[in-house]
Amino acid sequence: MLSEWRNRTSLRFKALFHRRQLDRDLEDEVAFHLSMAEQKNRAQGISPEQSRHTARRRFGNTTSLKERSREMWTLVSLEVLLQDIRFGARKLGKSPGFTIVAVLTLALGIGANTAIFSLIHTVMMKSLPFANPSELYRLGEGADCCALDGLQGNFGIYSYALYKQLRNSTPEFSKMAAFSGGLHLISVRRTGGAGLSEPYVGEFVSGNYFSTFGLGAYAGRLLSESDDQPSSSPVAVISYRVWREHFSLDPSVIGGSFLINGQPLTIVGVTSPGFFGETLRRDPPDFWVPLASEPILRLDGSLLAHSELHWLYIIGRLKPGEKPGQVQARVTLEVQQWLTSQGQIPEAYRPQIAKQHVTLTPAGAGVARMRTAYADGLRLLAAASGLVLLIACANVANLLLAQGTAQRAQTVMRVALGAPRVRLIRQALTEGLMLGVLGGAAGLAVAYAGTQIILALAFRGAHYVPIQTAPSLPVLGFAALLSLLTSVIFAAAPAWINSRADAGEALRGAQRNIREGSNAPQKFLIVLQAALSLVLLAGAGLLTESLHNLEHQQFGFETEGRLIVKVDPALAGYTADRLDGLYRLLKERLRQIPGVQSVSFSLYSPMSDVNWSSGISVEGRPAPANPEDFDGASWVRVSADYFETIGTRLVRGRFIDERDTAGSRHITVINESFARMFFPKQDPLGKHFGLGDASHAGDYEIVGIVADAKYQDAREAAYPTFFRPLFQTEKFTDAGEQSTETRSNWIHDIELRVSGRPQNLQPLIRQTLAGIDPNMPVVDMMTFSEQVTRNFNQDRLMARLAGIFGLLALGLACIGLYGVLAYNVARRTQEIGIRVALGAPRSDILQMVLGEALILAGLGVAIGIPCALASNHLLSSMLFGLKATNPVVMSLAAAALLLVAMVAACFPAHKASAVDPLVALRHD
Amino acid sequence: MKEKRENPGDLLQGTLDLLILKALARGAMHGYGVAEWIHQTSEDVLKVEEGALYPALHRLELRGLLSAEWGASDNNRRAKFYSLTSSGKKQLAQETEFWRRMSGAVARILQTA
Repeated sequence: MLSEWRNRTSLRFKALFHRRQLDRDLEDEVAFHLSMAEQKNRAQGISPEQSRHTARRRFGNTTSLKERSREMWTLVSLEVLLQDIRFGARKLGKSPGFTIVAVLTLALGIGANTAIFSLIHTVMMKSLPFANPSELYRLGEGADCCALDGLQGNFGIYSYALYKQLRNSTPEFSKMAAFSGGLHLISVRRTGGAGLSEPYVGEFVSGNYFSTFGLGAYAGRLLSESDDQPSSSPVAVISYRVWREHFSLDPSVIGGSFLINGQPLTIVGVTSPGFFGETLRRDPPDFWVPLASEPILRLDGSLLAHSELHWLYIIGRLKPGEKPGQVQARVTLEVQQWLTSQGQIPEAYRPQIAKQHVTLTPAGAGVARMRTAYADGLRLLAAASGLVLLIACANVANLLLAQGTAQRAQTVMRVALGAPRVRLIRQALTEGLMLGVLGGAAGLAVAYAGTQIILALAFRGAHYVPIQTAPSLPVLGFAALLSLLTSVIFAAAPAWINSRADAGEALRGAQRNIREGSNAPQKFLIVLQAALSLVLLAGAGLLTESLHNLEHQQFGFETEGRLIVKVDPALAGYTADRLDGLYRLLKERLRQIPGVQSVSFSLYSPMSDVNWSSGISVEGRPAPANPEDFDGASWVRVSADYFETIGTRLVRGRFIDERDTAGSRHITVINESFARMFFPKQDPLGKHFGLGDASHAGDYEIVGIVADAKYQDAREAAYPTFFRPLFQTEKFTDAGEQSTETRSNWIHDIELRVSGRPQNLQPLIRQTLAGIDPNMPVVDMMTFSEQVTRNFNQDRLMARLAGIFGLLALGLACIGLYGVLAYNVARRTQEIGIRVALGAPRSDILQMVLGEALILAGLGVAIGIPCALASNHLLSSMLFGLKATNPVVMSLAAAALLLVAMVAACFPAHKASAVDPLVALRHD
Repeated sequence: MKEKRENPGDLLQGTLDLLILKALARGAMHGYGVAEWIHQTSEDVLKVEEGALYPALHRLELRGLLSAEWGASDNNRRAKFYSLTSSGKKQLAQETEFWRRMSGAVARILQTA
C-alpha cells in the first residue's frame, strides 16, 4: 500500500516536472501500438500502405490523444496553481496602481498590528528567561523606591534586616532573593587601565539572586551565597551586553580587577545574553554587586545596616505544592511580628501595625514595572491598530470588488466561451492569495521599522532598551492570515457572482447590463471606512491636543535657554567635607564659559522624575489626631541663584542666596501651595518648621515664598514644597533620618541659564567639567525642555501613533472613495453622455459626482460621531486640559474627512463633466 | 479534485475503465494487448477508438489502480506493460458487482414493459 502511494506520488511529481520524459514515453507507446496493429494487418494480407492507414484510422487522432493524456497529467492541481500564479502575476503587473495600493494597504495594516502586538507580547505577557517562572512570587506590589521608612500599609519594599528575617522564617520558599528597588549609577574603571572611569548602572543583589531565578553564567560564574558575606572579597557580575559592547568580549575581563566607585572589585562572570535583570525596564543594570558590598560602594550613606529603612524588593521561589494564598497570610503575619519587635516605631503608630499586609504577586515576568506603566497606553494602541487593520481590510475588499466589477465583462465572456466556473473562481482566489502574501511580506518590513519607531518614541532619552525588536511570529501570522482571508474572500466573491452570469449577457454587452445597486457593498465599505477613520482621527486629535496642553502649560519655571547637567559627585568619591570646595569650583569655572549667564545646583531639578518628601512638624500647629494623615511635603536642597536660573518667580521675601551657608541661620523658602496648606490666612514669613517630629519644629525659618512650580506630576497641581540651602544640616537621633539629611547634600543636577542655542555650549561644558575632575562623569546633559519633554514619552507615543493611524485611515478612505467614484463615472459614461446631449449643464454633472461623495462621507460622519463619542471616553484618563467630547476636535475631524472626500471626488467629477456626448454614445 | 470527462467514443467512461481493469485481471499487458482483448472478447461489438485507451490507462495509473513498467514484448520490442494493483483489483470487484446489479435491474425493467 505504501509503495503504491510512493509510486503514485513519484508519478505525479514526474507529471509536474519531467514533462518531456512522459511525452517521449507516450510517443513510444503510440508508436509501438501502431506498429503492432500494422503488423497484424499485414499478416492478414493487406498491403503495407493500407495496413498503416487502417492502423492509424483505428487509433484515432494522435495529437488530440497526446493532448488528452497531457491534460490527464495536469490533473495534479499544483500545475494548475502554477499557471494561475503566472496568470495572476501578469494581471497584477498590468494594473500596477491597483497592486501597489492594495499591497501597501495590507502592509500597513499588518505591519502596524504586528509591531504593536509584538510589543504587547514582550511587555505584557512574556516571562523573563527564568527557570520554572510560575514558581516565582514577589513579596508585595507597586513601584516604591528608593528608601522608605515607617509603615507602608501594603508592603512592597523591605529593609535588609526584614529580608533576612523573612528569608529565614518562611520555609514555604525554597529560595528568596533580595535586590535594590532602584538602580544605582556606579563609576567603573579597569585597574591599571589608562581610561577615565565611566558611568554604568549597578544593582545590589543578594548572593542567592541568580540561583533563585535559576540562571546560569554565560562565562565565568555568577554570584553565590559565599560572595555575599561581610568578610568575602568584593566581586561583581557583568552583563553580556556591556561585556560585548564596551569590553569587546575580552576574556580577561572575567577574573579581572576593576575599580567600582573607587573600590577594587573582581569581575567573576558574565550573565547570559537574554538576561537584563529581574525587571523589564529601560537602561537595565550593567553590573550586579552583592548586598554585602553596598556599604563600601554607596558613598552617600549605606542603607544595609538600617533595619528601619526599606529599600529592597524580594522575589522568592515557592516550593512545589505551596499555596500562594496561605503563604501570603504567613508572610503578612511575619512582617507584623517583626514590626512589633522594632523599638524605633513610635508609640503613636503602633496600632497601625496590625493593618500592615503583604500581597504575593506572580513574578514569572519579574517586577512588572513596565507592564504597569504602559498597560493603558498599549491597550489603546492595540485597539487603534486593530481599527487600522479593519480599515485596511475594508479598503482592499473595496479595491478587489471594484476590480471584480470592472472585469465583469471579461468574466462573463469567458463563461460564455465555456471556461469552467471553478477555474474562474480559483483564478480569482489565487490573485487574492498573491496580494495577501505580498502584503504580508511588506508588512514584515513595516513591522520591523514600526517597532523601532515605537521604541524610540516610548523610551526617548534611554541609552538602551532591552526589548527585542523582532516581530513576534504568531502575531505576524495572525495579521497575515486575516489580511489573506480578506483578500481571498473579496477577490473570489465578485468572481463567483460574475461567473453565475447568464452567458447570453456577454452577447448583449455586459457593460450595459449592470444593475444599479451592484456596487452597494462597495458603498457600504466606504461608509464603514469613513466612520472608522473619524473615530481614529478624533482620538488622534484629542491626544495631540492633550500633549500640546501638557507641554505648553504653565510649569512655574522657564525651559527656554536652559541646560541641565546630571552629575554624581558621590561616584567620583567626594566625601561630605570636600563637597563645598567642589561646588565653589564648579560655579566659578562654569560661570566663566562665554554665554553662561547663571549657574546653580540642586539635589534634583523639576520634572526629572525624582521627588524627596518627608513628614514635617510646623511650630504652633498641633500634630494631627490620626497619625495616618501626618503633615508632609516635598523638599529640595538648592544652591544660591537656583530660582533665577530656572526662572521661578519670587512672590514675597527673598530667594536662597550666597548668605545661606552651613554656619548661618537655618532658613527655608516655601512655595505658594505650601503656604496655603500650612499657613492658611497667615503670613508664613518668619514662621518656623522642620523635618521630623515636633522636636524639630523650630529648625528653620521661612524667609521667602516662591511661585508654584511642577516638579513631579505634570497633570496635577504643584506639590507643597520647601527649598533648603545646601549644608544647613540638622541633627537627628534616628539613624535613617540622619542618613537622609546628610545624603541630601550631594547634588545631582547643575542648572545653567545660557544665551544662544544651549546645545552649542555642551562640548565646552563637558570640557570644563573634565578639567575640574576627570573622574567625575557627566551622567547626562540635555536642555531643560528636553528633560521636561521626556516626561511625556508615553503621551507623545500615543499622540504620534494615533496621528499616524488617523492619517493612514484618512488616506485609505480617500483612496477607497476615489476608486468607487471613478468606477461609477466610468460605468455611467453613456448615461452622462445622454444627459449632456439632452442639455444638462456640466455643473449638474459635477454636482452629481461631488454630491455622491458628500453623501457617502456624510453618512460615515453621521455613524462615526456617536462611535467616536462612545470610544473616546476610554481616553478620558489620558487627556489633559480637554474633555473627550471636545466639540472643536470632533468638528475638525469631521471637516477633515469631508474635505478629503471632496479631494477624492475632484478628479472623477472633472472627468464626468468632461464627457463628450458623441464619444459616449458611440461607446459599445 | 474532479476529473474531467473524457470522450471515449461510443463507450461510457466508466465502462471503458471497467473493460481495461477486466482485461488486466488476466495479467500484465501492454496497451495494444488491451485493445485487442477488448475487440476479441466483445466480438467487435464495442468499438473502442484505440487512441482513447491511453488517456484512460494513464488516468487509472495516476489514480493508483494500475501500475506500469517498461519491458520487452513477444517480438522483443520495448513496450509499457500495465498490471492491476491491489486497489485496482478491489475496484474491479466493486465495479463488476455494481454493473451486474445495474444490468440486472435494467433487464427486469425492460421485461415488465
